[in-house]
Amino acid sequence: MTSDSQISDYLAQLRKSLSRMTISEREDIVEEIHMHIRERLSGPQIGVDSVLAGLGSADELAQQYRAGLLVQRAQKSSSPLLILRAALRWATTGVEGFLVFCIALTGYAMGVGFLLLALMKPFFPANTGLWVGPDQFNFNFRMGATMTNPSPPVHEVLGWWLIPVCLVIGSLSLALTTKLLQFLMRRFRWKVPIRGAAPARPVMMTL
Amino acid sequence: MARQFAAPPEEPDTTDKWEAQMRKGCLEMAVLASLWRGRLYGLEILRVLERDSNLVLAEGTIYPILNRLRTEGLVQSEWVEAQAGHPRKYYHLTAAGRERATQMAKTWTQFSAGLGCLIEPVVRKEEVEQPL
Repeated sequence: MTSDSQISDYLAQLRKSLSRMTISEREDIVEEIHMHIRERLSGPQIGVDSVLAGLGSADELAQQYRAGLLVQRAQKSSSPLLILRAALRWATTGVEGFLVFCIALTGYAMGVGFLLLALMKPFFPANTGLWVGPDQFNFNFRMGATMTNPSPPVHEVLGWWLIPVCLVIGSLSLALTTKLLQFLMRRFRWKVPIRGAAPARPVMMTL
Repeated sequence: MARQFAAPPEEPDTTDKWEAQMRKGCLEMAVLASLWRGRLYGLEILRVLERDSNLVLAEGTIYPILNRLRTEGLVQSEWVEAQAGHPRKYYHLTAAGRERATQMAKTWTQFSAGLGCLIEPVVRKEEVEQPL
C-alpha cells in the first residue's frame, strides 16, 4: 500500500466516523488532519506509518471530537436524550462517570415513570393511582385492583388528583436531573472527554 | 538480628494514572497559554508545549481540544496559505480566551505555591524522627 493510499484511507475512515457532524465541520476537521500529516511528512525522515500512529486510529480520533462536542452540547442542552448520551460516554471513563450515569438513569426513569402514570390514568382509572396501606405507599399501575372495590386494607387515595401530582413530580424529576447533570458536566468537564497526554514520557511538572 | 520489613512495592501504573490525570487537567490551560504570544497552528502548539513545558501530547489529542476551545469561543481559527506549499489552520486567543487563560494562570500559581510549601520537605527528603 502506498503512502498516498494509506493517507486517503485514513482520511476516508475519519470522514466516515464523523458522519454525524455537519459537512462543513467535518470537512474542516479532515482538512486540518490532512495538512497535519503533510506537514509531518515534510519534516526530517519520518514514515507515514509513524505519523498515522501518532494520530491514533481514525475511529479513536473521531471519538475524541465527538466526545468533546457531545459533552459540550449536553452542558447547554435541556434534551434528556442528549444528556443521557453524554453521561453514557462519561460512564466509560471511570467510576465517577458510572455514578453520574446511574444518577441520570434513575432521575430520568423516575420522571418518565410519573409522566406515564399521569397519561395512563384517563385510560385505566381504576388501576392507576397512589396506593396506601400497611407498610405501603406506592405510585403505580396495578392489575386487578379497582377504586370502587379496593383490596382492603390497601386503597387508592388520590383519585383524579393523581394526574396533576404525577405531572408535577415527573416534570420536576426531569428538570432537576437535567440541571444536576449539566452542573456535574461543567464541574468535572476535564474528566469527561479525551485521551490524555502521552503517558510514555515521564514529565516532572514545575511546582 | 532484627528483621527488616520492606514496604510493599507501589503498583507501577498508579503513579502513571495520577500523572496522566494531572496533565489532562492542565491541558486546556497549557494550550491557551501557548497561544498567549500570538497565533499558532496545531503542530506548532505541540512543539511549543514540548519545548517550553515538557508537556508531550499524543498528536491526535491537540486537534479535538482546539476544536472544543473554538466552539466555546476561547480561540478563533483561520486558514492561511503558507510557504510550505499547503495551507495551515492558525489559532489565536479571543478576548474570552485571554480572560480564561489569565484566570487559570492565577489559580494555578496560587495552587502550586501552596502545594510547593507543603511538599518542600518531601522534595528535600528531610529526615524525620521515626516513631519507636
